[in-house]
Amino acid sequence: MRWLLLALTLSLCAFAQTRASQMRIVALPGNSPVVTLRLVFTTGAARDPDDKPGLARLTAEMLAGGGSKDLTHNQIVEALFPMAASVGSQVDMEMTTFSGATHVDNLEAYYKIFLAMLLDPGWREDDFKRLKDSAINSLRVGMRGNNDEELGKEVLLSELYHGTPYGHYSVGSVTALQKITIDDLKQFYKQHYTQSNLILGIAGGYSPAFLDRIKKDFGALPANDSAPALAIRPRAIEHTHALIVEKNTRSVAYSLGFPIDVKRGDPDYPALLVMQSYFGQHRESGGRLFQRIREIRGINYGDYDYIEYFPRGGNLLEPPPNVARGSQAFQIWIRPAEPPQAAFTLRLGVYELNKLVKDGIPQEDFDRTKEFLSKFVNVLTKTKRAELAYAIDSLYYGIPNYNSYVKDALAKLTRDQVNTAIRKHLRADRLQIVAVTDHAVDLKRQIVGAGPSTIEYNSPKPAEILAEDKIVGAFDIGVRPEDIEIVPVEKVFE
Amino acid sequence: MIRLLPLLLCAVLLASAADAPKTFPFSFTQEDLPNGLRLVTIPTDSPNLVSVFIVVQAGSRNEVEAGKTGFAHLFEHMMFRGTDKYPPEKYNEILKRAGAASNAFTASDVTVFHTTFSKEDLPTILAMEADRFENLKYSLEAFKTETGAVLGEYNKNSANPGQKLEEVLADTAFDRHTYKHTTMGFLKDVQDMPSQYDYSIKFFDRYYRPEYTTIILTGDVDAKQARTLVDKSFGNWPRGSYHADIPVEPKQQGPREAHVDWPSPTLPLLTIAYKGPAYTDTAKDTAALDAFSTLVFGQNSELYQKLVVREQKLDSLSANSPSSVDPDLFTIRARLKHVEDLPAMREEILSAVKRFQDELVPADKLEAVKKRERYGFTLRLDNSESVAQTVAEYVALRRTPDTIDKLYVQYGQLTPEDLREMARKYLIESGRTIVSLTGAAPAGAAK
Repeated sequence: MRWLLLALTLSLCAFAQTRASQMRIVALPGNSPVVTLRLVFTTGAARDPDDKPGLARLTAEMLAGGGSKDLTHNQIVEALFPMAASVGSQVDMEMTTFSGATHVDNLEAYYKIFLAMLLDPGWREDDFKRLKDSAINSLRVGMRGNNDEELGKEVLLSELYHGTPYGHYSVGSVTALQKITIDDLKQFYKQHYTQSNLILGIAGGYSPAFLDRIKKDFGALPANDSAPALAIRPRAIEHTHALIVEKNTRSVAYSLGFPIDVKRGDPDYPALLVMQSYFGQHRESGGRLFQRIREIRGINYGDYDYIEYFPRGGNLLEPPPNVARGSQAFQIWIRPAEPPQAAFTLRLGVYELNKLVKDGIPQEDFDRTKEFLSKFVNVLTKTKRAELAYAIDSLYYGIPNYNSYVKDALAKLTRDQVNTAIRKHLRADRLQIVAVTDHAVDLKRQIVGAGPSTIEYNSPKPAEILAEDKIVGAFDIGVRPEDIEIVPVEKVFE
Repeated sequence: MIRLLPLLLCAVLLASAADAPKTFPFSFTQEDLPNGLRLVTIPTDSPNLVSVFIVVQAGSRNEVEAGKTGFAHLFEHMMFRGTDKYPPEKYNEILKRAGAASNAFTASDVTVFHTTFSKEDLPTILAMEADRFENLKYSLEAFKTETGAVLGEYNKNSANPGQKLEEVLADTAFDRHTYKHTTMGFLKDVQDMPSQYDYSIKFFDRYYRPEYTTIILTGDVDAKQARTLVDKSFGNWPRGSYHADIPVEPKQQGPREAHVDWPSPTLPLLTIAYKGPAYTDTAKDTAALDAFSTLVFGQNSELYQKLVVREQKLDSLSANSPSSVDPDLFTIRARLKHVEDLPAMREEILSAVKRFQDELVPADKLEAVKKRERYGFTLRLDNSESVAQTVAEYVALRRTPDTIDKLYVQYGQLTPEDLREMARKYLIESGRTIVSLTGAAPAGAAK
């Protein structure tokens, strides 16, 4: 209880806005010897010009990974080295984040560098070439080569938002990156790195005078971004569509979903949060999908669902903050399955989704999940860094402190409300499915071919599972042959 | 799934030898129960939250029999398959009601089970954990089903060429010691796991014993209350008697090489490894090689600045110094942009090693490394979970947080001469293994 009260007090002072400059401040003072800086610009990849996907991200990387006007990249690395400090960047559709932490001993020296990197970038050609190569390699090798699962997730989102400002991966495409110039970066920086877009976050053992100084320093940014408000209207999915990415790999990874009209702060968000946790809480073993696919059948390593963007899920146990979006998608992540079981696994995922929509969440699970979430939010904000980042997201979404927002909403939430929200926002038809596999034609045949999908086990299974397998194997996921597209991996993000 | 525990030495605090030799900033209580179980309680400023890390000093290093690689990791999975009192559904329900974040990982020397939750649930969670460590019970069917999940884990890792490179490196560099295989194990052994039910029971009986186990409690905890709870829940767990006979690696007699042809396009990888020492907190070897790895191959090293930043021939460069129970590898890893640069990059890295066997690293640079370690340590320990995680990495090696301060003393006394001496002692041709990996055309590099 002590913690909650503290958080509430902090949040009250945190959301006071400095109207004059339009810059917004989230400040969480404390006694820690560490000072955390987190500057979020409410701009990002959704602002990439149509022919230059990747521009927002490369611009941020140029600031965080290049030199400033006075210091080369090498000199910055050298200066930050003894402080064990760095400046990190993260770019999503609507948020661009610069973050760093330093021991209070080094605050002065660290801040001087941080400030120069953000306000006086060096725009050097050799930094640009290095960071551009790195972006291209992260597409070709990091995604297409090494990470079938993340690839599947990002391809899914690009498909869902095709034709909208969200319709490309934030890193961009190889050909677009090759065309982007330093002048493009400068232009993007000038237009979008403005006071009106800035949420300035700070936490830890800094002084009030230091906060005043930062506010003044970042007051040097241009006042307003002239870009019109974003309108994200994903196209309707008429029929379930499957995109199969073909590449040399051992197994078959899936992501599937559709956009939803619910985001943090909307009336149905708490209900869908409970649904998400019940159906497939990220990297926890208690979710329904995990239980039915992995625990009972031993098909793969795990199975989860999401109502908000969650990048890098293969490495992270908790969602990364500051990837807030005005439009979100419901997504199911089915981890790689062995090819002979792949078609059955897909049917099982959609079968479970269908069951969820039809039957809703049982009372017992509803109670349990509510209890889980009202405590788990404390785990999400266990560090000062996370508390600061969540407070910034809350400001963006126009909600109070996230922990109290979730706890208060859960206290009032009923099972009926959850099941009504499930029926209203979820469905098991009109899906976009993405598969990553070496056997695209074979998978296509298995999905649409005559006859049910089957599964063989290495040990006896209870009769009710075998009976359910027959139903699952014959379950129609509603994909017609003409709704399956095969694309070689070399063409993805190219 | 890691051989080298990450950031192990980031937790080393530096100051002059005259300073009080206290590196670890938290006071802690360390107690042994009569059955051999160790309890380390570390109150930290984490209102209402508690982290429980249960460290079993058995990892892939303990997989001594042929055909059993990957077993420690499989066993990590089996620990979630329940007991009579807490079948998996009930176990999950209790974790859920506690709002707990719970997971586990296996490395070469250790298997760690960790849970973070609200403090009022501590008695419940400890009772449930004690029950599974003492009374784990699973059917043949459940065992076989879980092997499918482990194969699934192998599959999701297998898309990454780095994983394959690590497998080949370990297999090439070691002859007899169990560091010859990765924690994930060889694919053929993973595929054979369904037929190893009886061995799994034996593995549990050998290693899931109090004398192999340390419980680390951090956060909003009280040492006295913790001891009472642990006595009550773990006190009757019987001590075991097994001692693993880990094969001793014979001295390597000459340089070794291997190459991996990766079937898909990817960037070339180059790994140069040397047989290094076992972890030590009583001599300078571990600390010196760690400092060497940062100074010669880290982000602000001359070599990094030349090859990654200026010439941009490498996409990444890093080195890991060994911190394992037994002698392990000092490994330099590079990712290249162009395959034709492989011979030149190899030469560059080997020359850097050679150079610092002759020359001394600049004293001011060494001091900067010491400073960096001190600040890195403070920045890292910012919540109960990261404190427990850090301590778990040391418990894997010496079963006590005390080793942090001892290592710190060694680190604080390092001189440029020490680094040169250790490079001469360990980074030698006869103990070297080089593994490269190249992808299929079309080459993936940006031109």
